[in-house]
Amino acid sequence: MNKTAIDRAILAVVVLVIWETIGRVAGSYWISTPWLVVSRLWELALNGDLWFHGRYTLGEALGGFVLGAVPGCLSAMLLRRHPFVRTAVLSVAAIGYAVPKTALVPLFILWLGVGPGAKVALVASAVFFIVFYSTLNGVDAVDGKLLQSAKVMGASERQILWHVVGPSVVPFVFGGLRVAIPYAIGGAIVGEIISSNRGIGYLTQYGAMDFDTTLVFVSLVVVMFIVLSLSAVLAGVQRRLLRWQSDSQTSPQVVGA
Amino acid sequence: MSAHTMQTPVLQLRNLGIAYGQAVSGERRWILRNLDLTVNDGEFVTVMGSSGAGKSTLLNVVAQTLQPSEGQIVFRGKPVGGADMPPDPGSARQIGYVTQDDNLLPWRTVWDNVMFPIALARKPTPSDIEHAERLLEQVGLSAWIRHYPHQLSGGMRKRASLARTLAYSPPVVLMDEPFGALDAETRAHLQADLLNLWATEKKTILFVTHDINEAIALGDRVVVLSGSPGRIVLERAFNISRPRDPELIFKEASFAGHYDAIRSCLRGAGH
Repeated sequence: MNKTAIDRAILAVVVLVIWETIGRVAGSYWISTPWLVVSRLWELALNGDLWFHGRYTLGEALGGFVLGAVPGCLSAMLLRRHPFVRTAVLSVAAIGYAVPKTALVPLFILWLGVGPGAKVALVASAVFFIVFYSTLNGVDAVDGKLLQSAKVMGASERQILWHVVGPSVVPFVFGGLRVAIPYAIGGAIVGEIISSNRGIGYLTQYGAMDFDTTLVFVSLVVVMFIVLSLSAVLAGVQRRLLRWQSDSQTSPQVVGA
Repeated sequence: MSAHTMQTPVLQLRNLGIAYGQAVSGERRWILRNLDLTVNDGEFVTVMGSSGAGKSTLLNVVAQTLQPSEGQIVFRGKPVGGADMPPDPGSARQIGYVTQDDNLLPWRTVWDNVMFPIALARKPTPSDIEHAERLLEQVGLSAWIRHYPHQLSGGMRKRASLARTLAYSPPVVLMDEPFGALDAETRAHLQADLLNLWATEKKTILFVTHDINEAIALGDRVVVLSGSPGRIVLERAFNISRPRDPELIFKEASFAGHYDAIRSCLRGAGH
């Protein structure tokens, strides 16, 4: 174990001890306590509630993630060779990006009902713009000299897209995806808080209404766990795909979200 | 000896010109104009010129990454590009281009970079693979084929880039100051390697340099561009026997004469 890991473990223990102490002194009503949270988490995991609610949130987040990221990435790639369409699309996209996505929830519910559909739509609408703009950045950053040299070597448009543009955009796409993950989970949770009878967001809402602070904290811990694991999976895939980059290049350029 | 025995024109530039700006408004600025040049099969022609005389522009036009405003590019008697033809970069893989930057694809290993232009056209055959292996051996990169470009030094990347262009065997190779940014020793090694490769691969080379020594050491003949718009102000054959040692080229009896002729031409025109 290296020094940083030890430092982190110490910090975590200190935070937990402080939390536990304050929780016990002030009463668990305000911030619960780590011990209560862990035992409730265990209880919910055993009786299946955690899986029941977790899978809805996870499903909505992943579904919206795919439905937002794939079109976001593809539409940015398609605009590469069409400067006029691009200008038009960008001005519309700027409006779409400016609208707070949570403000659209009532509309999504109107269109898609109170079921998972509205949450998926909310997640997709948030993820789309993040991935779209970061992919667009990547498309703009493709080295023109590489394109020229591939053309001189006889590459067709398709080969250039596949062998030159694609690989140079990958780091930017991943930059967008990694920023988008918390937004995807966040979108699903917000959607559930606004209206639903299942999901982690529902648990949070239910806990707060019931003055069950421990349940609220359990939900937060679960959400944190989901976000961290998804980020770790994505980081692993990214490392595998981008092993050609030098170490100094590995944190990709990310467009603000 | 060199290619002068063959005398088959492989690349001809006819009345080539390139201008920026609009023809109608009369504000055209010609970079190159009325340029005629014939390069014979297997010939090594070096191109010199004061800065701004359009050396790199000339190669870009011949590679067709820039469209000429007038004139024609003829390959083996057949027009392959020109002002009145749609641009065809590389003239259907007949003309290879080693640019100042190595332009290796950073996500491909040295081996995959060298195989890239071949794989664009066909599934590599055993003889393609053997050819690529031999080229990498000749440029001293056999031990580095699994490495990515960022793991290589500048000189090694240059070698890889050279091997990549030769691997898919374009008959004509354009080179734009390929060794300009390298230290003297690496440069001398690469010059020697290039002459060996040129001898074994039987290429026709158009080589831009700003170094008079290099122009004499490598070329069968030099053309000097000058003026605005740029045109050819000197063509001079060297007739120095091969094989040559680029580092010791100054010991040749005729060296001083060639050197002075080129230098006075560059001076008289440029500054």
